[in-house]
Amino acid sequence: MSKENNYPDVIFIGQPNCGKSTLFNAIAGLKADTSNFPGTSIEHTHSKVNVEGNILNIIDLPGTYSLNPSDPAEKVALVHLFHEKPSLVINVIDASVLGRSLELTLELIELRYPMIIALNMVDLAEKKGVEIDIRKLEKILGVPVIPTIAIRGRGIKELLDAVLRGLEEGLTVSPIEWSRDVEQKIEELINLLPEDFTVVSNKRFTAIHMIEANKLFFDKVLKDINPPLKKALDQVRHDLETMHNAPAYEVISAERHHLALKIFEECSRVLRGKRISFEERVDDVIMHPFFGYIILLAVFCGFFLIIFKVGSPLEGLLLEPLTNLRHSLLQTLGTGVLSYLIDGLLAGIGGGIAIVLPYFLPLIFLMSFLEDVGYLARAGFLMDTFMHKIGLHGKSISPFILGFGCNVPAIISTRTLESRRDRIITSLLIPFIPCSARTTIILALVAFYLGPLWAFGFYVFNILLVALLGRVITLFFKTPSPGLILEIPSLKVPSLKNMVKKTYFQMKSFIKFAWPILIAGSIVLGLLQYLHFDRFINLILSPLVEKGLGLPRDLGVTLVFGFLRKELSLVMMLQALDVSYMDVLTVISKEQIIVFTVFINFFIPCLSTVALLWKEMGKKIALISIGLNTGVAVILSFIARLILGK
Amino acid sequence: MPEVISLIQAPPDTPLKIVDILGGHGVRRRLMAMGFHKNAIIELDSQAIFRGPVLVKNLTSDTSVALGRGVAQKIMVEIIE
Repeated sequence: MSKENNYPDVIFIGQPNCGKSTLFNAIAGLKADTSNFPGTSIEHTHSKVNVEGNILNIIDLPGTYSLNPSDPAEKVALVHLFHEKPSLVINVIDASVLGRSLELTLELIELRYPMIIALNMVDLAEKKGVEIDIRKLEKILGVPVIPTIAIRGRGIKELLDAVLRGLEEGLTVSPIEWSRDVEQKIEELINLLPEDFTVVSNKRFTAIHMIEANKLFFDKVLKDINPPLKKALDQVRHDLETMHNAPAYEVISAERHHLALKIFEECSRVLRGKRISFEERVDDVIMHPFFGYIILLAVFCGFFLIIFKVGSPLEGLLLEPLTNLRHSLLQTLGTGVLSYLIDGLLAGIGGGIAIVLPYFLPLIFLMSFLEDVGYLARAGFLMDTFMHKIGLHGKSISPFILGFGCNVPAIISTRTLESRRDRIITSLLIPFIPCSARTTIILALVAFYLGPLWAFGFYVFNILLVALLGRVITLFFKTPSPGLILEIPSLKVPSLKNMVKKTYFQMKSFIKFAWPILIAGSIVLGLLQYLHFDRFINLILSPLVEKGLGLPRDLGVTLVFGFLRKELSLVMMLQALDVSYMDVLTVISKEQIIVFTVFINFFIPCLSTVALLWKEMGKKIALISIGLNTGVAVILSFIARLILGK
Repeated sequence: MPEVISLIQAPPDTPLKIVDILGGHGVRRRLMAMGFHKNAIIELDSQAIFRGPVLVKNLTSDTSVALGRGVAQKIMVEIIE
């Protein structure tokens, strides 16, 4: 994407929670041509911006603690950094944890790419009583340092000015020396690198990363292609290990760590002693072993209550005029093919506006609020115990919650999980989480016709089912989960602007992706009805639909099309039964509504989810997911029918 | 010499010094990248119910990290008098 033109590439990189994406959005928002992926920056985000007449390609990479990746999201960052040599790197640092952040900075400096530091959240550092001497930091690192407060938009102009100046004048970055004995060993290895050896950026960086490399893969390759170099590398590692009495990679990591701490001490003054801030007191309560869970429960109940309270009246409000329009149009158009097509079109548009927006919009907005405040990580901490019971750990909670919005970004966000085992289990469970489309169906059918309590019960049952399935799926894996290591970011007052922006981006990509399928699907169904092809599908499915589930035969076609997008099933149900939303109960019973909802809810994840599972986890997992969902849907809806005695 | 104990056995709200990190490459690398080095000063904050994860404050880097019990067991510390 970035190589289609000659605009300079500017890469944003930083540790997780440093406010990198906020800074990126603040800049990308200046001149929008942004292709944002839903969820946070698990996938990198590109944007072209125009800064005083200069077009820049800015790229937001996923947060990474170091350049030795441990989870798939971090690997995305590296692939980009190494393969496409950027024109400039912006290292975003959380000033309030400067000491630790500098370790990544030192690693980036080793790359010797032109670089600028955005020292973000300087206000938070001040509040913590940390005063940073920016000029001194600049001098020691040899890199321009610009203080910013991304969330309030401060320092952004200065940062962009520095970027333009840097691109124009060029920036030279030279690494800071480590201990003599370590440097000597690195030098030894550099001298042994053959002329034709693939070098990333420069020889010193390459040599250091060879020493640090994860032994299993890299060493095996090296042993095959250059045995003498492998021997030399082993010797260097061995020397370092005997000198420092620690594994070689730890020696290197300790060098950076000590240097980072030294620089931190030189450049900053801690004005106050141990702070007992307001935030800490709040944290004591919301992470309390007892009250924490009460609050968590309250937050999530409130969360869904708000969505329901906002969504339900809005839905009625939006649906009514559309239904009226459809009726009057049908009367004027008669029963030709055009009437079927236009009716399908209107039904599709209606589904898109009146059913998806009222629920999806508040959900992603509240979600970004919880994320920006820092509550999501805390929820992960609190939920870890329960997640262990289903064979996962607390980090999986965030993909699950995202799954309530849309399964697609939820599956992408499993990239933050370190082990493939956890990714597979989480990805298989996500399609069972009622996403906004399915919530819409639950609310529109169960809550509307049977009452909100039924819908709540449905939800609780759904979550218990996810837990049960988790337990069962875990049985197929021998290795246990690698355990939780999750940073708890400091609590922040979220910026409305940032939340709105995040919601907007997610909404936009959702609409762009979902509406065409929704509308096209509705039109196709209209056409099928005109050609009476739906009867054919209904006939094939009738053993399952009529005999198995006790539903009207006409609903067969909606099951098939639910696969395109879940909310389509609802629109199509009305269309297939040929009733308006208000008159559904005249055609089918309440029990049938439950059986239908159970089936639709657990049936094959929608087309886009399957496609993504296939891409992310492979064909096998995608097929397992389809099989699992279909099996569960058939079994559960059949049981529901038996219980309800229909 | 103060006694070396696993982080899981350490008392809460007491400064602790990391003396060693056990376990394989993967866990050690991840912990180091997040600021858990030898000699770093940490503090156990609160404990979740049902033997859940522990919340660890890293006083050296001023960060908070939640660690599963399995991971916390691998961090060997001594109490700073």
